[in-house]
Amino acid sequence: MRIRLVASFLLAAGAVSFGQAPAKWTAPKTAWGDPDLEGIWPGNMGVPMQRPEALGTRATLTEQEFAQKEEAAKKQAIADSQSTVASDSRVGIGPPSYWTERGVPTKQTSLIVDPPNGRLPALTAAEIKLRKEARGGKGFPGEWRGEAESYADLNIYYRCITRGVLGSVIPVVYNNGNQILQMPGYVIFRNEMIHESRVIPLDGRPHLSQDIRLYMGDPRGHWEGNTLVVETTNFTDSDAIGSNGAGYPGDPGHHSAELKLTERFTRVSANTINYQATIDDPKTWTRPWTILIELKRNDNYQLLEYACHEGNVAMGDILSGARAEEAAKVTK
Amino acid sequence: MWQTGSIGAEPAGQSVVEGGPIPYKPEKLAKKKENYENRRTNDPEAKCYMPGVPRANYMPYPFQIVQSPKGILMVYEFASANRFVNMGKPQEAGSDTWMGTNNGKWEGDTLVVDVTGLNGLAWFDRAGDYASNNLHVVERYTRTDPYHIRYEATIEDPSVFTKPWKISMPLYKVVDKNAQLLDFKCVEFSEELLYGQFKKQTSSTK
Repeated sequence: MRIRLVASFLLAAGAVSFGQAPAKWTAPKTAWGDPDLEGIWPGNMGVPMQRPEALGTRATLTEQEFAQKEEAAKKQAIADSQSTVASDSRVGIGPPSYWTERGVPTKQTSLIVDPPNGRLPALTAAEIKLRKEARGGKGFPGEWRGEAESYADLNIYYRCITRGVLGSVIPVVYNNGNQILQMPGYVIFRNEMIHESRVIPLDGRPHLSQDIRLYMGDPRGHWEGNTLVVETTNFTDSDAIGSNGAGYPGDPGHHSAELKLTERFTRVSANTINYQATIDDPKTWTRPWTILIELKRNDNYQLLEYACHEGNVAMGDILSGARAEEAAKVTK
Repeated sequence: MWQTGSIGAEPAGQSVVEGGPIPYKPEKLAKKKENYENRRTNDPEAKCYMPGVPRANYMPYPFQIVQSPKGILMVYEFASANRFVNMGKPQEAGSDTWMGTNNGKWEGDTLVVDVTGLNGLAWFDRAGDYASNNLHVVERYTRTDPYHIRYEATIEDPSVFTKPWKISMPLYKVVDKNAQLLDFKCVEFSEELLYGQFKKQTSSTK
């Protein structure tokens, strides 16, 4: 076990650091005295949201398990580099495997670090009912299963509306770039996909009126030592927590507009930020829960313009395809 | 259909183009007229597409200039568009994009941003003025007092215009107490326009 506890962080949040920080590393400051988080910090694929139950409260892989994971990653990389379209491939919406970012293997066993078993807490009874009864019993739009009466049957990621705050950070198959920029009074957290820029004021101003609801919420930041703490409220209830904010099966899923999100950005070494987010939404989950994502600095990573909606040919194809299929059934 | 009354109407405005009309090549004017005729459905703004440069700077939505030691980020409320202005060694444009490849430098107190790699799909305005992907924009931002920036953009596109032309206008600082950008995720407002024709038609179509 190579878990290393960072004292101040531990006291603040009971968190576990997976960073490999040298003991004497000192967090740098900007010219105006704020802790310096600036740079390109892409997310890293490969850590599941929930921990396999067999691992219990074990937050890190053993050396042997890690070696196996690294070996599998090497084989996958070779397979990806050689992949071609098989003759029996079905037409689908997934990208070819050589597009896919698989990430650098780490020892973290789950993104969820609290509860200590790395598993999602139970949903409230009201949320179970809500999810079941949404859209007249069809449930919230999650993974597309061919149902396409309207664009509203597809999830907000397919619609290219947004991926929400966490959906924009949780690593996915590609375009995992994040950039942090700072100026006096502000931190900007920019996500490559779908081109989000969260401008986070640090001046202690009050939140917006509760009447104003935003997909990306209303963030307010402050420093606790070297940690940037961002509290975000004023959400809508129209997105989901998990990859792409889409509500895919198996993801944590839909949250309520009462969600209070507390993010902590702590630079634990020159090249690592521990990004920790606590989801407090008592209407949806029976207790708060926390994820931890290691963001690794890579100044050679180039954020590209992810023109999702502008290039959303799939939406027209999915809907017109469904209409063509219906018409074919009628003529039979 | 929802009738917008006078809410959907546009007030008059004076030209920001210096020295007369935009110098289109004669054979390129037809396209501008066609754009204008079909502006309700074809304007990329109506479709909630990223507005491109320079249009992003004079739409009726605020934007914030984030000036960091690492570069300058322009964050637009409309469509959550943004563009990062590289203030280091100039970088060549990769693939064409809506918001372009932006290289900046200081000339005295003026920020000069050279924009290339624009895809030519954005329009300049709601009147259908347009360019191609050979568009090259050089912007100049000069702060004239605490509340104003003089904004100038020189527009060059030899495939569409006979010569470079220039626009200039003041940018007004938003001074409201607690001013902040809000979400304007306009995709939802464009979906009926873009995909409505493909929806399932039922007797109770929403």
